[in-house]
Amino acid sequence: MIDVASFLTTLGTYIGIYLILSLTLTLETSSGITNFGKTAFYGLGAYVGAVIGTYLPLAIYGGGFSPFDVNGIQILLSMGRSNPMMDIGVFALSIIVGFGAVAALGLALTYPIHRVGSSLVGFTLLSLGEVLRLIYLNTSALGESKGFMGIPSPFAWVKDPKLAGLLYLLVVLAFAGITLLTVSRILNSPLGRILRGIRDDELVALYAGWPTVLVKARILALSSGLTGVAGVLWAYYFTSINPNMFTPSLTFNIWAMIIIGGLGSMAGGIVGTVLLASVDYAMRFVVPYIGVAFITPDYLRWIVVGLLMIVVLIKKPEGLIPEKQTILILGEGEGGDSK
Amino acid sequence: MKITVAQLGLLLIGLVIGLPLGYLAGNFSTPSQTGSAPASQGREYLIGVTLPLSGELSSIGKIWEKVVYLAFDDLNNEVKAYGFNVTFKPVILDDGTQDDKALANVQSFSQMGIKVVIGPAASSQVKAVKAFADANHIVIISPSSTAPTLAIPNDFIFRTVGSDAKQARALATLAYSQGARTVVVFHRNDEYGNAFASFFANYFTQLNGTKVHDLPYQTGLSDYTSEVNALASKVQSTGADAVVLIAFDTDAANILAHAASSNVLSSVRWFLSEGPHGAQELLSPTIGGFAQKVKLLGTRPLFTHNPLYDEFARKLKEKYGVEPTVFCDNLYDAIQLAGWAILKAGSYDGDAIRSALVEVAKHYYGPSGWAMFDENGDKANQDYGVWAIVQSGQGYQFMDVGMIQGDTVIFTTTPYK
Amino acid sequence: MLITQDLVSFFLFSLLYLTISIPLVVAYRVTKVINFTVSTYIAYGAYTGVMLDYYLRRSIGGNYLLVTAVASFIIVGAIGYLSNLLVFKPLSNKRVKPDVLMIASMGLWIVFKYILYVISDIAGYFCKANLVSYGQINYSDVASLASRLGLSGVQESYILFPLVAGTSITLFLLMLGKTRVGRAILAVADNPTLAALSGVSVSRVENLTWFITSGLISLAGVMWTSYSGAITPEIGDSLILQAFTIAFIGGLTSITRTAVGSLLISGVENFGTDFLSTYLGVPASVKPMLTFTVLIATLIISPPLGAAGGIPYRFRRGRRI
Repeated sequence: MIDVASFLTTLGTYIGIYLILSLTLTLETSSGITNFGKTAFYGLGAYVGAVIGTYLPLAIYGGGFSPFDVNGIQILLSMGRSNPMMDIGVFALSIIVGFGAVAALGLALTYPIHRVGSSLVGFTLLSLGEVLRLIYLNTSALGESKGFMGIPSPFAWVKDPKLAGLLYLLVVLAFAGITLLTVSRILNSPLGRILRGIRDDELVALYAGWPTVLVKARILALSSGLTGVAGVLWAYYFTSINPNMFTPSLTFNIWAMIIIGGLGSMAGGIVGTVLLASVDYAMRFVVPYIGVAFITPDYLRWIVVGLLMIVVLIKKPEGLIPEKQTILILGEGEGGDSK
Repeated sequence: MKITVAQLGLLLIGLVIGLPLGYLAGNFSTPSQTGSAPASQGREYLIGVTLPLSGELSSIGKIWEKVVYLAFDDLNNEVKAYGFNVTFKPVILDDGTQDDKALANVQSFSQMGIKVVIGPAASSQVKAVKAFADANHIVIISPSSTAPTLAIPNDFIFRTVGSDAKQARALATLAYSQGARTVVVFHRNDEYGNAFASFFANYFTQLNGTKVHDLPYQTGLSDYTSEVNALASKVQSTGADAVVLIAFDTDAANILAHAASSNVLSSVRWFLSEGPHGAQELLSPTIGGFAQKVKLLGTRPLFTHNPLYDEFARKLKEKYGVEPTVFCDNLYDAIQLAGWAILKAGSYDGDAIRSALVEVAKHYYGPSGWAMFDENGDKANQDYGVWAIVQSGQGYQFMDVGMIQGDTVIFTTTPYK
Repeated sequence: MLITQDLVSFFLFSLLYLTISIPLVVAYRVTKVINFTVSTYIAYGAYTGVMLDYYLRRSIGGNYLLVTAVASFIIVGAIGYLSNLLVFKPLSNKRVKPDVLMIASMGLWIVFKYILYVISDIAGYFCKANLVSYGQINYSDVASLASRLGLSGVQESYILFPLVAGTSITLFLLMLGKTRVGRAILAVADNPTLAALSGVSVSRVENLTWFITSGLISLAGVMWTSYSGAITPEIGDSLILQAFTIAFIGGLTSITRTAVGSLLISGVENFGTDFLSTYLGVPASVKPMLTFTVLIATLIISPPLGAAGGIPYRFRRGRRI
């Protein structure tokens, strides 16, 4: 009755992409950067992936077709089905360029935002996301309101859709794994302690001699780059994007995931992500069968997620899996914070 | 560097949570033989419906939900009357007018074993689900997507609504025949608005002595005062004699309410697309009065003197207390077509249903008129009617006052004295 | 460019933004919560108007602004008070970070918004009407006031906006400045410990602030019902973007700076869009960008200190970074 394999594949892909977002957000919050503008970076990555994925194959094909024209789109669709090398090559190129471009954006942003407090940083990044979205919406080379369509999935040439889905899941999980490794290495290293020091009290960190701005710049560049990769993965999964996909509500979803799981704790971030994504997706199977004739049952889904967030926050504000508090014990050898 | 066993364990636990939830949900649902057993008694077919019940199109989506219930009731009664021992059941999910949710809904439907989905509403959502639907052979019937870039043959996307190119031409004909020569096209900055505006400009400029100015506005805002002010300035500076508004319901209501307070905008003619038609907010005293002043006229897809449409509107009002709004008739017909296609296909399989759908549509005439599809799976033929907001008793109401055939406008009543 | 109509819109929107942002700033100063639930206060205020309008029109044939405003103030004030009681106070007792409070307010925002959808759905079922989107509301008492002042032909919102905004802001500022309660609120806003030492009951003041500021913000929703052609549960969402930008311009501390910010944003939106459209041919669709530009410009030219500010600038000069 329910296609369990397909269900797990789809759910796994969503969880994988969200994991990249929430792990990078954990890294950012552990450094004191409240990033309410995840969609800015994510959206840019998606657009980079879309631009490369549509303009490049059409350029190879020749004939001057536009990716926003029915004929151009049909060519893209048929090319995608028959060119494994092109599909994978274009995808790989998008990942690399996506990482680079978005990392550069993150780097550039550090300097304006380090002067103000955390809530204003968050709000500014959120505004940046909206500005970028409006730029996409009003630029004809980026498709304006039509967006991009027909982006060739790296496995579009695979005949069996279930196999293609599975392969893509593996790719997504691979990148999620890379992100997990990277974030974990950073947070559990001496650099991680420096980051937490900057987050807890930037003034003290500055006086202690740490180059706070340089550190934050590097961290923001790295996590933005990885977020850009998540954006590319998204674009190639949906095969079509448009500016209205990148609204602030996505950022809030990710925040909900890491708060419920436990701010600052990586395991917490993973648990929160898996929990929220699973509940949200699984409830689609339950919701149509409950509910009253005159209330839309789907509203209940939203209310449940919101209440879940609040209840977890009240009962355990540190989240389900809190960050381990490092206690400085004098005389302890390797773990001490003395420099 | 430590990825602790604990962390991996948690990840696995999380994935495992999803599985029983899904399985439980599967057991929850009533047994639906989706095409496995041969003809036995009382078969139930599930049809997925993804509606914008929240988000920007929620005001339309709520009314559509009622239409879905009405359509399924009528469908089930009709197939019973023909002697089929079959029930169709809708599985409704909200996609919040968002693309990723529309895809997740279609994926969920596919995983529930559903092979036909009604919706999504917006063209961007249809684009998001197209790859999945084509790969997994799920028939998608959208009642309202009009983007030209989706007119692709041999896929699984069908649209029971005609292309806006023809409606733009009808609107251009109407405006010209009413004396408009210099117009400002005030339109949504989304795919619907941009495509419509460019079609309109194409046709209108081919007529004698005409000029078109373009003014798009950002969608999704809760208020358009400054945009309306910019429109008024533009009307004044270009000396326009008409405004063409291409909008949906809530933005049109907001815009018209503001236009009513502007002297400049109250002294030109206004011509509307089909989006605002049927929205109750337009019947408020402010907007109703404004409509009388500017002799507001609009076009909409309509097969005039269609008793099926009148009956549909009457039943909807009786049972659910709402007036049909834009695309309700297309939605109703989409559901009827889906049901009959499943029956004709003989098996609950995507490819069979797709072929059957094309055949069924050739002979189907419903509230939205003749349903036949063209080679791209879009509605092949569409007539257009002219509507107005007229005074009735103490208030106002919508009235169809004429039709457009080719290059002529024929009025059946005079809406404005 | 039509100056008069821009001026009128500028006037109206300044009043609207003032009605939202001044209580918002005072609320932040007392409660230290960046509260996204403000969006739902506005929406609930508007919907109190909608429900009353539907009910009153059927029973006595007209709607009254006074009734709506008072009802909205009380209902939404109560909602604000309850959210503090059930959510924000327990959280701040646990000494959580301010970001957590902000996220909690976002959770509440989602919950309240969809509860409003459910309520309008149920009400729509019983009334056999679509309440998820409602038309413009006309208030009989405003109309009779207009005719008494000899302003019968004038649009209703032109009278209603100054009336509601003027009354609420004046009363609020008077209360803050002249009454004992008001001074207690300001004391707690500046320094809770000192206020407690002077005998002020800090928790009572907090509860009162939640009630009053939420109720006042809901009046913006009531104002909105007479202005916009369509009222949906989503209307609060884009208004708060402007409201928070204004609050940040004011640094979340200074009422004067906030008032200036309201005028600035309203001016930029109304005159700016018209100007760009008429003289530079820029489509009106860039209006939202204007607000952000102002925000970014403020950050660069005059970054706010205080609650929203970062490390005091003097510590940064000359450091090797």
